[in-house]
Formats: sequence, C-alpha cells, structure tokens
Amino acid sequence: MKSAKWENIFKGWNRSESATVLTLKQVPIFKYFSQKEFGELEKMMHHRTYSPGEFVFKNRAPSEGMYIIMHGAIKITIGTRADNENILAELGEGDFFGELALFDDEPRSANAIATQDSELLGFFKPDIMTLQERNPMLGQKILFNLGGILGDRLRGTNNLLIKAQSEKPE
Amino acid sequence: MPNQKNYFQLIYRVVIGLIAVWFLSIIWPYISDVILMLVFAFLFTTVLLSSVDALERKIGSRGLSVLTVIIILLGGIGTFIGSFISQMSQQAMEFSSRIDKDTLTQEFKTLGEKFTSAMPGFMQNMQPSDGDMAGKLSELINTVVGSLASMAGAIGNFMFIAAMVFIFTIILLAEYHGFRKSLVNTIPNKYFEVGLKLIYNIEKSVSSYLRGQFLSAASVAAMSVAGLLLLNLFGANLTLTFFIGIIAGLANLIPLIGPFVGMIPAILIAFMNNIGNEAAMAHTLFGAIPSPFFILDIILMFLIVQQIEGNLITPALVGKSVGLHPMIVMIALLIGGTILGPLGMLFAVPATGVLKVILKEIAFVRQNAHLL
Repeated sequence: MKSAKWENIFKGWNRSESATVLTLKQVPIFKYFSQKEFGELEKMMHHRTYSPGEFVFKNRAPSEGMYIIMHGAIKITIGTRADNENILAELGEGDFFGELALFDDEPRSANAIATQDSELLGFFKPDIMTLQERNPMLGQKILFNLGGILGDRLRGTNNLLIKAQSEKPE
Repeated sequence: MPNQKNYFQLIYRVVIGLIAVWFLSIIWPYISDVILMLVFAFLFTTVLLSSVDALERKIGSRGLSVLTVIIILLGGIGTFIGSFISQMSQQAMEFSSRIDKDTLTQEFKTLGEKFTSAMPGFMQNMQPSDGDMAGKLSELINTVVGSLASMAGAIGNFMFIAAMVFIFTIILLAEYHGFRKSLVNTIPNKYFEVGLKLIYNIEKSVSSYLRGQFLSAASVAAMSVAGLLLLNLFGANLTLTFFIGIIAGLANLIPLIGPFVGMIPAILIAFMNNIGNEAAMAHTLFGAIPSPFFILDIILMFLIVQQIEGNLITPALVGKSVGLHPMIVMIALLIGGTILGPLGMLFAVPATGVLKVILKEIAFVRQNAHLL
C-alpha cells in the first residue's frame, strides 16, 4: 500500500517535463545541460505565436536573436513575391534559426515566414547579456555550443567549396 | 483621395492626443504620488538587482536573496542614521552647554564687523545704517526653528511614501524578471525584437547612469572626508567628518546644486565647534584672506573635490553613461526642478537619458518601418 506521507515527500520527483524543456532538449545549442540549467533557460524563453503567412522577420530587418520551433513550420526565403520567392529551407519542430543575430548587429539575411500556425521560442541578445550577468557559466556554455555549431557549418561550407572547386572543369 | 485620408488621420491622432493629455491632467493629482513611488522603487530595484541576482546564483533562492539584501541595506541605513543622530545630538548638547544666547549674538556681531571691515570701502558704505547684522541673523535663526515645526507633518508623509517605496522595491526585486517577461510578451510580433531592444537599452541606460552616480558619490564622500581631516591638521576642529563626507556624497547625486548643499553641514559644524575660539575667528586663508571659522577653507576644499570629481573621476568611471550634451542636462535640470523641485532635479538626467533612448528607437523604427 502506498504511504500518503512518502508520496507527498517525493511529489514532483518524476514530474513530467514542460513542452518548452522538451523542445529545448532537442536543440544542439543546449546539449549537456542539467535539469536545473534547463529550468533557468525556460524562464528566459519568450513564447511567440504566428499565423500562417505571418513574417517572423523580414530580409534586411534589424536582428536581435534566434527562434526555436516548438510547434508548426517556418520557411526561410529570399524574395517574397510568388514569382521571385526562393525557398532556402523549410523548418519544423525542434529546428532553430536566426542564431547568427546573437553574435553580430548585421541585419537579417533572409525572410522567415510561418507556413502553419506556429509557436516559437525566442532567445535574444538582451537575454544572453542578462544571462551573462546573472549566470555567466550558463551564458558561456550557450555561447561555446553556438560557436561549435557555427564551426561545424563553416567546415561544411568549406567542404562544399572544395568539392565545387574540384568539380570545376580546368 | 490618399492626401485627404492622411489629413483625416492626422486630425484623428491630434484629437486622440489632446484627449489623452486632458484625461492625464485630470487624473494626475490622484496618481502622481503612486507614480513617483513606482519610479523610486524602479530606481532602487535597478541599483539592487545585480546584488540580488548574484546572491540568488549562490544560494539558489530568490526570496532569501531579496530578504538578505534588504536586511543588509536597512541595517546599513539604520546604523548610519542612528549613529548620526546620536552624535549630532551629543554635538548639539555640547554646543548649547558651552554657548548662551548673548555669547552667540556677540559672536555674530564680531563676525559681521569682521566681514564689513574686510570689504572694500565702497561696499562698506552699502551696509545698512543701523548695521545690526547680529539681530538679523538671530531673526533668521528663529524663522528657521519655526519652520522646523511645520516640517513634522512633511516627515509623516515622507515616512508613508518611504514605506510604500520599500514595499514596491521588495516586490519588484522578487518578481523583476517575471514582470519584465510579462511586459515583453505584450509587444506585437511585428515590433517584438525592436521592443525588446528598447527595454534592454532603457535598463542599460538607467543602470549605467545610477552605477556611475553612486561611484562618483562614493568618491566625493571619500575625498571630502580626506579633505576635512586635512583641514583638521591645520586646526579647523571639525567633527563628524565621516558623516559630513557621506552627506556631501549623497548631495552630489543632485547635479549642479548638490555640491553646494554638501558644504552646508561642514560649515555649520565648523561654526558650532569654533565659536568663541579666537584663533579660529582670526584665521586667514593663505595668510591673506580672512576666513573666520575656516569657512573659506571648507568652501575651497569642496570646490577642489568637485573639480577632481567632475573632471577626472566621473569621466573615467562613468564616461558618457547617458551621453547627453551638458546644455541638454542643464535644461533638463531646470525643467525637472520646476516640475518636481529637488526630486525633479534628481530624476531629470536619467529621465532625459531614457527619453533619448526611446526617441532614438522611434526614429529607427520609422526609418526601417518597411522592414518590420
């Protein structure tokens, strides 16, 4: 028979994780984070909802941070009209975009448009600045992971460049 | 047609604006005190926030961190005020036991004569024919004592406001990040990133201004204490130097008039301690300029402290924390002083800094409206 007293003491131990934490766990930027760190991060995330066709941001707009897709889908495009729209990527749940904005003040380099009802988590430069003051270790961990991801992408781009050059006719 | 539409839109906006101003002017008397309390609470929160955040990181509890910081702060303020009052009353008792009314009047008379004789001839002729400077000074003291009684009511009001500000500060400190997030969540998607940046820049502007001000106040306090101790080496016989220094540092938070307010306690103490002391009465600055009770020495010392603080320390510590032109600062101080008195002067510069940040962001949004 279950003891009500013990049940009360251990209440919350096997509490199911929130949807936000489950989404964050899919993002490589937050890999090797402890449960406590996810809790801290969850408090900082901004929940935003977008309708189909709504811009998350426009090309050349001032940039402040990155978004993680909790639900829905987002397309990354260049050009907005039907005749000149060039879809660069279609992103789904757990994907993230706009992370370069955390490092520089350059404007956005593409459009991000919701293709269905979408719920995004926003994480912005002011948040990372605040995090650096409140919990520098956590801030450093995020920046380190982001650096790793950008490094991977640069390596991938280099490989593509090498491949393209080697395939170029003499 | 589009021009006509714009014309109607403009009229509509002007009418809405006028109604808003009219409505605000009606409710302002009822809400002004609360707004003032919230502004104070916000400023105190900005100052204390980093300490609470740092403590929260160490002990892991927000509530306990707020409590600890508040207890330390109240303990510090209580100790300062308590020991200041006890030392000041001791000083006043010593003064009253040493000096009776006749001696005081005589001292004022001698002081008046000394000043008159130190003036150039043409200015001496400008003195009133009866030359009763001592009587006038006594009258002035009586008026000051009378007005002190009417201050009692004001002190009661002040205590209520202070208690409310204290409560608001505790709530804001405990819930700051939650409040901020709730505020941010109300921004529409289109202006979200710009709005977030605006809030962050306002916070940064206010906190860097306050941090700079407190650092320069601390430097003024330290230099004033050192300067007063130096004057004591020359026989100025100043007591309560530590408190005078702190008061000078705090007064320094009010731009332009603060530095002069800071001198007053030092001059009063010099006068109280040296009355009846012939050597102090006959003291001269640089052996040439008469400076009874070391008054000119004290003024000169504070002026030197102000110059060091204004030209060396503040630029190095604060830099261009708010980035306002001195002319704008002066205009803001005048407007703030006219509207809210000394409080207005205290808030004028950070409020103008915040306004500057907002206007800059509005200009940015207008310029980039097509990209949002």
